[in-house]
Amino acid sequence: MAVLRAEGIEKGFHRGLPPRRRRIEVLRGASLEVGRGELVGLVGENGSGKSTLMKIVVGLLERDAGTIERAGKLGYCPQTPLLWEKLTVAEHFELFSRAYELGPAEASSATESLLSELQFERYRDYRIEDLSGGTRQKLNLALALMHSPDLLLLDEPYSGFDWETYLRFWEMSERRRDDGMGILIVSHLISERDRLDRIYELREGRCQET
Amino acid sequence: MIAIAISGADFLREHLRARMTLAMLVVLPALFVLVSASVLGEFAKALGGSVADDSASALGAGWAAAFLAGALGFFQVASSREADRRLALAGMGAGRVAVARISASILLGLFVSAVAFGTLWLVAGIAHPAHAFVAILIFALIYIGIGTLVGSFISEPLEGSLTVAFIFLIDAFSGPGMSGGGGIAQLMPTRKAADVLIAAGAGQSSPAGDWIAVGLTTLGALLLAAGAFWFSARPRSA
Repeated sequence: MAVLRAEGIEKGFHRGLPPRRRRIEVLRGASLEVGRGELVGLVGENGSGKSTLMKIVVGLLERDAGTIERAGKLGYCPQTPLLWEKLTVAEHFELFSRAYELGPAEASSATESLLSELQFERYRDYRIEDLSGGTRQKLNLALALMHSPDLLLLDEPYSGFDWETYLRFWEMSERRRDDGMGILIVSHLISERDRLDRIYELREGRCQET
Repeated sequence: MIAIAISGADFLREHLRARMTLAMLVVLPALFVLVSASVLGEFAKALGGSVADDSASALGAGWAAAFLAGALGFFQVASSREADRRLALAGMGAGRVAVARISASILLGLFVSAVAFGTLWLVAGIAHPAHAFVAILIFALIYIGIGTLVGSFISEPLEGSLTVAFIFLIDAFSGPGMSGGGGIAQLMPTRKAADVLIAAGAGQSSPAGDWIAVGLTTLGALLLAAGAFWFSARPRSA
């Protein structure tokens, strides 16, 4: 059963000012599908449109054409941590637990579990401005996971992670995949291919399953 | 409703935890009021108008609240646009994010207005304190609308804050008492609020028509701000 089906996605951007204004077509009919309990990779060269496609699937960017069907709860971890510099880690968890409409017990349990799983409990009361890039990224990922989504979209979620955290990230992803979560992850490392159930390569604006 | 209030408190805390911002919120209104009596009087003469010292001090308080509220409104939209959109997408929705943001902006506007009014009270005294406070607050609320509108179109801090400052300067120097009052001066958003504030500074009441006009302008500015916050936080259709 598919938790995400994107078909014929097209997207172009206008660049420059007249008379040098031109249109760049990034996506030219990209299609992909993610099923329940699947860990799917989206690979491609720099500038191939991976993040653009991800943002369109999430709903952060409008598409020019195509259809998207999503089922269940969505979790999204953007490539760059989107956080509030002056708020603490704990306040971020509270803010998102309200957005996800989690009850107090559920929010507390999810927060403790993710702080422990990603091993950054001691930063609970730190403001974001005082965190390292890797710890920010841990929080960025944790916020996408705290409501146990049915579909998890990860845009290069491990940049800044040390090796141990990187390995833990893959363990976490595989465990959630085994529990039925559908995961789409933007990746560019060849070494990761063995960890993925299926891989789409984005080339010339289209997805090809490899 | 409680979720919106708590989120609004988070957004407010975000600004008040920046030491430099907090210092500016306290120091700038006081400085504006302290120097405005002489400086605004001189500017008014140079521009062909005239403003009495009491009215100039009162206007200074209004301009201080306006400038700070406008700058904060701009940064509320511009600096957190992506994060707010993520929060909206997570389930809070653009409408609730916008309400939380505008609540935080209004509280910040109240804070700077209170500091400006307090300084005015201490330095110049004021015959119509209630009128003066409401008029200063109206300056702040109108500029929240202007700042957020600028922030929804311009995200770069330098360009955005310069645009807010440019609008502020045009508004301030075409205001009542500062110039002949014709042309563009009639169209400036704080025109009637400045009339009310000058009258309060001089110990006079304002006609009902002026209050209705400032009420409508303020309502329009707050609706504009709500729209700007919503526009910035709204997810695109998926």
